[in-house]
Amino acid sequence: MSTVAEAPAAVTPERAATRPPKDFDRPRFLRLFAWLFYLVMFAPIALVVLFSFNSTRSLQKFDGFSFRWYERFFESESLHSSLQASIEIALVTMVVATALGTLLAYGLVRARTRWSGAANILMLVPLVTPEIVAGVSALLLFTQIGLNLSLTTIMLGHITFSISYVTVVVRGRLASLGPEVENAALDLGATRWQTFRLVTLPELWPAVLAAGLLVFALSFDDFVMSFFTTGESPQPLPVRIWSAIRFGVTPTINAIGSFMLAISLVTVGLALLLPRLLGRKESAVGVLLGREGA
Amino acid sequence: MSEQRFASRFLLPGAVWLLLFFLVPLGILLAISFGTTDDLGNSLYGWHPSNYADAFDPLFAPVLLRSVGYAFATVVLCLVIGYPIAYYIARFGGRRKNALIALVVLPFFVNYLVRTYAWVAILGDEGVFNGAANTNIRFLNTPYAVVGGLVYGYLAFMILPIYAALDRMDPALIEAGKDLYGSRWNTFRHVTFPHTFQGVLAGGVLVFLPAVGDFVSAQLLGGPDEYMVGNLIQQQFFAAENWPFGAALTTLMMGFLLIFMVMYLRSAAKASREATA
Repeated sequence: MSTVAEAPAAVTPERAATRPPKDFDRPRFLRLFAWLFYLVMFAPIALVVLFSFNSTRSLQKFDGFSFRWYERFFESESLHSSLQASIEIALVTMVVATALGTLLAYGLVRARTRWSGAANILMLVPLVTPEIVAGVSALLLFTQIGLNLSLTTIMLGHITFSISYVTVVVRGRLASLGPEVENAALDLGATRWQTFRLVTLPELWPAVLAAGLLVFALSFDDFVMSFFTTGESPQPLPVRIWSAIRFGVTPTINAIGSFMLAISLVTVGLALLLPRLLGRKESAVGVLLGREGA
Repeated sequence: MSEQRFASRFLLPGAVWLLLFFLVPLGILLAISFGTTDDLGNSLYGWHPSNYADAFDPLFAPVLLRSVGYAFATVVLCLVIGYPIAYYIARFGGRRKNALIALVVLPFFVNYLVRTYAWVAILGDEGVFNGAANTNIRFLNTPYAVVGGLVYGYLAFMILPIYAALDRMDPALIEAGKDLYGSRWNTFRHVTFPHTFQGVLAGGVLVFLPAVGDFVSAQLLGGPDEYMVGNLIQQQFFAAENWPFGAALTTLMMGFLLIFMVMYLRSAAKASREATA
C-alpha cells in the first residue's frame, strides 16, 4: 500500500498481530463487499416475489399471505393469452434458432471458405448491436415488405438475435472436440453426413440443448425486440408489463414477474443441470459461457 | 465431397437468415433515415439529410450527449463494482466459484422491466425505503437513479469477461509480484490489472453498447429531463410518428457505436486466436 510510509506508528504490535497475514488469505473487505453486492442484486427480486403473495394492494407493508394476485393474473383472459403467446414465441424461437445456430457453428469451425470470415462477422455483430437498433430495423423491414405485425414478426425478430448465442455456445464445444474423432469415422467408411449425424451431433448434444434452453429464456424475457415487432393482440407478457407499469404500480405485475422468474429459473436450471443429467463431467457454466465469455 | 464443401453448406441457412433479417433491415434503416413523411405520417424514401441535422438541434443534442455521459458513467461504476467482485470470485471463490458466478448471472434472467420496476417500488417517494427509514428522500427522477438502473441492469456483462480473464491468469504471477517486494497496490497495478486488461476492455464495451441504447431505465426511474436517445427514438416511432427522424437517430447511434463494436470484435478475435494457438 502506498500510504504505509505515512503512518507506520499507527500500527501497534497487537493490531498488527490480529490483522491477517498479507498474502493469500481472504481479504475481509472484499468478502464484505461481495456479500453486499449479492444483497443489492437480489433484494429487488426478493421484494417482487414476496409482495406477489401480499394479501393487500400495499407495496410497502406485507399484510399476510394470499394468492389473489396470481388468481387475477390467471383469470384475466387477455393476460392468459399473452402468457400463451410468450411461450409459443419462445418455443418456436428455440427450435429454429437452435437448428440454424448449430449448423452455422459447424460450418464456421469446419469450413474455411472465402465466405467464412464474412459469415463469422455477420454472426458476431448481432451480439453487440443494441437491441433498439435491431428492433427498429426489424420493424422497418416488416412494414416495408408489407408484413402485418403479429406473433410471426416477433418470432422472426427473436430468431434473428438468438442464432448468434447458439452459434457461440456450440462453437466453443465444437472447437474443443477437434476433428480427430470425425476423421476416424470417415476412415472407417462413414459418409460425411453419417459422421455428422452419428458422431458429431451426439458429442454436441449437451451444448445444443443448453443453448436451446438459454434461447428459450432469452426469448421469453425479451422486451425490446417484442416491443418493436408486436401487433395489437395478443402481445407477449413483457410488452403487457411495460404498458401496465406506465399506468402505475399494481401487485398483479409482481405476480406476473414472479411467475416469469420461475419459468426462467426452471429453464436455466435445466440448462445448467443437463450436462450432468447426460452423464458428462464438464462444468455447466463452462458449457454455457463457452470460451468466448459473454 | 470434400470436407470443405460439405461443411460450407452448413453455413448457408444461418448466414442467409442473418443476411435477410439483420443486414438487409440495417440497409432499410439507412435508406429511411434519409426519407421524409407524407401528410398521413407514412414514410417516403428520398434525400433529406436534414434528419441528421435535426438530431444536433439544440432541442435534441443534449439528449445525445446525456446518453453518452450516462453510459460512460455506467461503465465506470460497473468497473469499480465489478472488478472486485470478479476478483473475489476468481481468487477466493474456491469450490463455490461456479455457484458464485451463476449467482451473478441469475438476476439477469429476471425480466429487466420487472427488476427496474422493483427499484421504483423501493426508491419511490412513498416506496419501501422511505417508508422503512421514515425519510423523505427523492431518489427517482434523478440522473443517479437512471445510471443506477443501468448499472444494475448490465453489471453482469462487466463481471463475466473480467472473471474469465482473472480465472485464466496464473496466480503464481501475483505471488511473484509480491516476492519481488511489490506492494499489494503495485502488484495489482503492474501485474494483475495489465493481465486482465483485455477482459476489462471487453466488459467496458459490452456494458457501454446496450447502455447507450437503453430506454427502460430513463423511462421508469427518470423522467423527461433524464431521457436518453433510446427514449427519443421510441417516441419517434410510437408517439411522434416521424419514422425517418427516428431512423436517423438510430443510424447515428449505430454509427457512433460501430467504433466500439469493431474494437471489441477485433480483441475477441485476437483472444480466441490466442486461446486456440
